[in-house]
Amino acid sequence: MPAARRPAEQYGTTAVRPPDFDAFWANIMAEVAAIPLNPTMVHVPMRSTDEVDTFEIQYDSLGGVRVAGWYCVPKASYLPPPYPALLIVPGYISEPTLPKSWAQMGYAAVGVAPRGKLRSHRQYNPGYPGLLTDNITDRNTYSYRGFYTDAARAVDFVLTRPEVDKSRIGVHGSSQGGALTITTAALRSDVIAVGAAGAPYLCGYMDAADLTHSWPYEEMNDYRRLYPDRAGAMRETLDYFDGINFAPMIRCPMLVYVGLADDVCPPETGYAFYNALDCPKEMHAYPRCAHDSGIYWEMPKVEAYLAAYLKPAAYTRHADPTQG
Amino acid sequence: MERPDDFSAYWAAVDDELAAVPMAAEMELLPLRTTPFANFYAVKLTSIGPYRIFGYYAVPTGDGPFPGLMNTPRYGSVNNPPHYDDRERYAVFTLMHRGQRLADRPFAAEYPGLLTLGIDDPATYIYRSIVADCLRGAEFLLSRPEIDRGRVGIVGDDLALLTAARRPGFTNVMASGLTWYRLMEARQRTSAYPVEEINDYLRIYPDHEAALSRTLSYTDPLHHAPQVTGTTLLTVGDAGALGGQEWLTPLTDALGGTVEHYPLTHEGATDHDWLDAWMARQLGTEAKPRLWAIREG
Repeated sequence: MPAARRPAEQYGTTAVRPPDFDAFWANIMAEVAAIPLNPTMVHVPMRSTDEVDTFEIQYDSLGGVRVAGWYCVPKASYLPPPYPALLIVPGYISEPTLPKSWAQMGYAAVGVAPRGKLRSHRQYNPGYPGLLTDNITDRNTYSYRGFYTDAARAVDFVLTRPEVDKSRIGVHGSSQGGALTITTAALRSDVIAVGAAGAPYLCGYMDAADLTHSWPYEEMNDYRRLYPDRAGAMRETLDYFDGINFAPMIRCPMLVYVGLADDVCPPETGYAFYNALDCPKEMHAYPRCAHDSGIYWEMPKVEAYLAAYLKPAAYTRHADPTQG
Repeated sequence: MERPDDFSAYWAAVDDELAAVPMAAEMELLPLRTTPFANFYAVKLTSIGPYRIFGYYAVPTGDGPFPGLMNTPRYGSVNNPPHYDDRERYAVFTLMHRGQRLADRPFAAEYPGLLTLGIDDPATYIYRSIVADCLRGAEFLLSRPEIDRGRVGIVGDDLALLTAARRPGFTNVMASGLTWYRLMEARQRTSAYPVEEINDYLRIYPDHEAALSRTLSYTDPLHHAPQVTGTTLLTVGDAGALGGQEWLTPLTDALGGTVEHYPLTHEGATDHDWLDAWMARQLGTEAKPRLWAIREG
């Protein structure tokens, strides 16, 4: 019989923050900072409207990997600059968001496509399934070393844009997008003004894999089944990439929302992250909701939370619901 | 969108093309995804073109026959492999159509972009080939000796309805999140992707509206519905919204077999567990609510 579930907020975590966690990531951010950004923007008339211009962007990231994204910005004839910026970070199997609806609200919005995603997978392509366990026993080559950095690097792209108010930059996503919201807010705490993370993935990796058989964490269970002797090395690596261990680095206000019956990203792990935050924070938890994390009711709250800090000019418009 | 006069001939030609190309099924056991309770295979099949498509197929260990289940591809570059809970109960097949990951050589689909690729002409519309891919996938599953032919379900969006319509053999259909159904009307009521791809296209090519209407009339599940003979479950959204009861009435009326509705609560776990139990009941197996066990020790 299954053991009775403890309340999600009391579950805790087995993740341990390595003593050199900050130094590990400081070195990576220094390494990428030394790489010229080489940003490019190509206007995409097909995806532009009377209100919004859409661009396909690219920039260089860790290891010289060329990273793509969408950049949607209000036309000056619709809303005059400057604009707050919002990074929309993607889920595990979902496509990077083309954030036109956010631009209609008045944001200069970037839909980030970290390495391995479509249009960013020429140099690195572990596939799906595959990304979660690629080089999982080596922290110096693990997939998310570059993936997290690519998302954080999008901040540098935004900082190059003259139409953006550099004091109003936020980040938002759900599932893996929730994880990237966390890591970007942490790694760019000097810039990010607010974050909203739904159903945060990649928090309490090993705990999550113990709690569920749903994809993508099932990739870890598959890996452990085939290579049981590598569990220790996995844990050692993953402690350097765990969202819970990024939490103390975050200084901006954070909204976190979870489904209390989420089989993909167990709410226990979302709470473990939330409890580790040492910044202004807010948690919304939805009973009987799964990986949807209550988005049917939560989306207006996400819009309002971000707008309170970023102050987009057309905040009465609405964004497409965020998918994980 | 009216049913075109040559609707039957259009799809019969697809069937003929498919019949002329050997399936050439190739199954490779994947130890990484195989569990004590189910073997897990990578599957390659040939569809029209000819084009090599991909699928994941999991078969419970032990004596069959097993109820069969096909997951049609979602709109996106990646489909999750069959879920653990389904691998315990069904011989389950998940297809990647041409352009999706694992079936993206030589053709890699773009998102956004796939929805309108070749859309000016029904003969070149990408979904003519993608539907063929789904039909080939259905032929694969329905040909497997370990499945119980009296218990075969199919789950997905419009592609599940089209596949069930053109390949009798599915006893149960579960359809949700329809995109091609009344698409030229739907586009006027939303700016959300992927439907927004149609609006994007017509913004650039406003004089192509009639051509798009014509092409999309071949893929609208409304016109395929009379050929669906199994029991169909449609998920129903909010009243007055796209996907609501009123919006779905023409489809409900057109479906050939028994039709049931499930009004979505928007509570993901509630909805999942109800839908899972419905299919399990239909196919004679146990429901698997997504409540997980916490390991001891």
